[in-house]
Amino acid sequence: MVCGAAVGRAPRRTVARWLASALLIVGCSAASDAPTYSSIPSWTTHAIPEARGDIKTLPDGKREAMRYRGWTTEDFGAYRTYAYGDARPDIAVQRVVMPAGVVGDAKKGRALFLSRAKGPCTGCHLIPGNDVWPAGNVGPDLSTIADRKLPDAYLYQQIYDARITFPNTSMPPWGVSGALGAEEIVHLVAFLQTLKGPVPAEKDPDRNPETRHKPVGFGDNLDPTNNPAVLLAEDAGTQWNAKGPTGKACADCHAGGPATAMRGVATRYPKFVKANARVMSIEDFLTVHAPETIGAPLAAESAANLTMATLVKMASNGMPVDLDLTSPAARAALARGKASFYRRVGQRNHACADCHTPDKGANKFLGGRLLGDVTVGLSRHFPTWRTSQTEMWDMRKRMQWCMTPLGMNMLAADSIEYAELELYLASFDNGKPLSVPGIRH
Amino acid sequence: MRGWCESRRRPEPTRRSVLRALGTLGAAAAVGTLTGPRPARAQALGQQETVEAAMKRVFGTRAIKDGSALVKLDVPLIAENGAVVPVSVEVNSPMTPSNYVKHIYVVADKNRIPVVTKVTLSPEAGQAYVGENVRLGETGDVRAIVEQSDGTLLQVKREVKVTVGGCGG
Amino acid sequence: MSDIGKVRLRVPSTIKPGEVVRVRSLVIHPMERIERDKQGKVIERNYNYIDKVVVTYLGKTVATFETTQSVSENPFFSFTFRATDPGQLKVTFTDTTGGKFEGSADIKFS
Repeated sequence: MVCGAAVGRAPRRTVARWLASALLIVGCSAASDAPTYSSIPSWTTHAIPEARGDIKTLPDGKREAMRYRGWTTEDFGAYRTYAYGDARPDIAVQRVVMPAGVVGDAKKGRALFLSRAKGPCTGCHLIPGNDVWPAGNVGPDLSTIADRKLPDAYLYQQIYDARITFPNTSMPPWGVSGALGAEEIVHLVAFLQTLKGPVPAEKDPDRNPETRHKPVGFGDNLDPTNNPAVLLAEDAGTQWNAKGPTGKACADCHAGGPATAMRGVATRYPKFVKANARVMSIEDFLTVHAPETIGAPLAAESAANLTMATLVKMASNGMPVDLDLTSPAARAALARGKASFYRRVGQRNHACADCHTPDKGANKFLGGRLLGDVTVGLSRHFPTWRTSQTEMWDMRKRMQWCMTPLGMNMLAADSIEYAELELYLASFDNGKPLSVPGIRH
Repeated sequence: MRGWCESRRRPEPTRRSVLRALGTLGAAAAVGTLTGPRPARAQALGQQETVEAAMKRVFGTRAIKDGSALVKLDVPLIAENGAVVPVSVEVNSPMTPSNYVKHIYVVADKNRIPVVTKVTLSPEAGQAYVGENVRLGETGDVRAIVEQSDGTLLQVKREVKVTVGGCGG
Repeated sequence: MSDIGKVRLRVPSTIKPGEVVRVRSLVIHPMERIERDKQGKVIERNYNYIDKVVVTYLGKTVATFETTQSVSENPFFSFTFRATDPGQLKVTFTDTTGGKFEGSADIKFS
């Protein structure tokens, strides 16, 4: 299709403004369609209460998010989300001047630079210091930035809103969003202006993300003496045989046990399910299929759903992902999923693409974490055992978690927006073998 | 102002991590039998101490030699998290009744409970090799201390950097 | 948590007589860590963690692990034994609440 032709076609839904900017960012590719939003059904979530993305208003008027135990309850309602109906525009770019009468304190600036309550800035930028662990390299190394003799006002603007200079930057607009106050930015500027070369010789190559050893992972994900999820899943076949409230079990319609009956099924998900007029992952499908057949809820993010999804996917281990990416429904969903991937959201004003594409953050360190590259395929090991959480996470919970550091309210785990984003992610796994459950940090 | 993914507390073990199952047991499976509750013991609280106190408690004033010629300690340079850090110790030893490795201690200097494990081996083990997954509270040294059957103590240690925070949680 | 105590052992599929065999084992267990209250004071109670692992081969103890809460949840242990005769390898995990969990493998030569 010719680039630019789509812009003239105004979508029915009120997402014209962000759509237009999304098109600009997505760019023109012969293979990709422009996203349209006119035929998306509304969907009532079938997720457990913690996974619905609900915000409740307390008696004192304060708003609190209902999320998983241990997750922040902060309401980020001020910032744009992935919801297709969220028509809020981009955060406006601001040109600013330094506040008068504030003397920059470099010591305060350094503390701010390292503060986990703020960025920390070291998440993306390396600076000198043995206490700097672990810094990332998504952004430039600032160890000798003072040598460039940039004006204070320029540095102030870059921290406040770098988009003045770099329109598609990954640098959040710290001042515009209020994440950093004006005075705090003055202190940061004062600190940056102390960073002169030469830097001391690096004693430890792992301190610098450019020379740091990459993570080695957690070994064979399918070894039951290595991955607890495999050991736990081995006996979960009893769920397959368990009779639900209707008196039926999965086994009654799907003969031969899950390994046989479900072989190959998971290779085709996520897919557009005609009966529900939406894209669904295995996890999504179970929330509808189980009540209709065995009468059990298998709510999204419930233990039962996760177990069954793992069992079903394990039946296709080793088989190549084989998604429909060409039917009109699939192409339309892919276009929307891709637009979501490139959409800027949250207080941090980040798009998935900022961290997970090779020409931006992928394969760089964000703090101590190596950022995954979407183009290698990041979905075929989900659900995955997470060693840091000691539990299984499916792709939706992983997406929901990403929302918290971005400063954005999460959507329901089984939302159509997440499903179509997952389809876009999974398109890069096409042709590659499933290996579930994974084992990761 | 909210921070960089630090809003997540480490969770308690969740019901979700446990898939409800009964299952039949094969030859290499579990038999869970409770032999009855034992009285609460002081040790069940976990022996919290500094590593210096631990070393004194366990080894007293015994000489501990450098074991790098015989002891191979395998730990990652960087641990993605402190919850699961693989450690293995291999000692060059004939493992004969007159010359074998009697004990291998794994110690994590910065842990509140620095003595992670004490292994006792018999010559029938065939090789002085052990592996396990340990918890590390923070960046610090992990040591392997080996006691030979003649009472000689050997030690090797390596620093493990523990990655904290970040958007992976 | 009815999955506590689930054990899996792995031994090589072919074992020759006299060979030193490496065994991998995993057991599902919370290995409860010490909890502290908001003031940082330790909450005193009987924490449930595995404190002993005993490996026997042909009825004789080959290795014993005395473990603490510094061992990871769902602990993994690896060790060796010299496979002199066909027979049973047994691994017994004991925790501080009196839980006792076993895994075993029949060692055969091929």
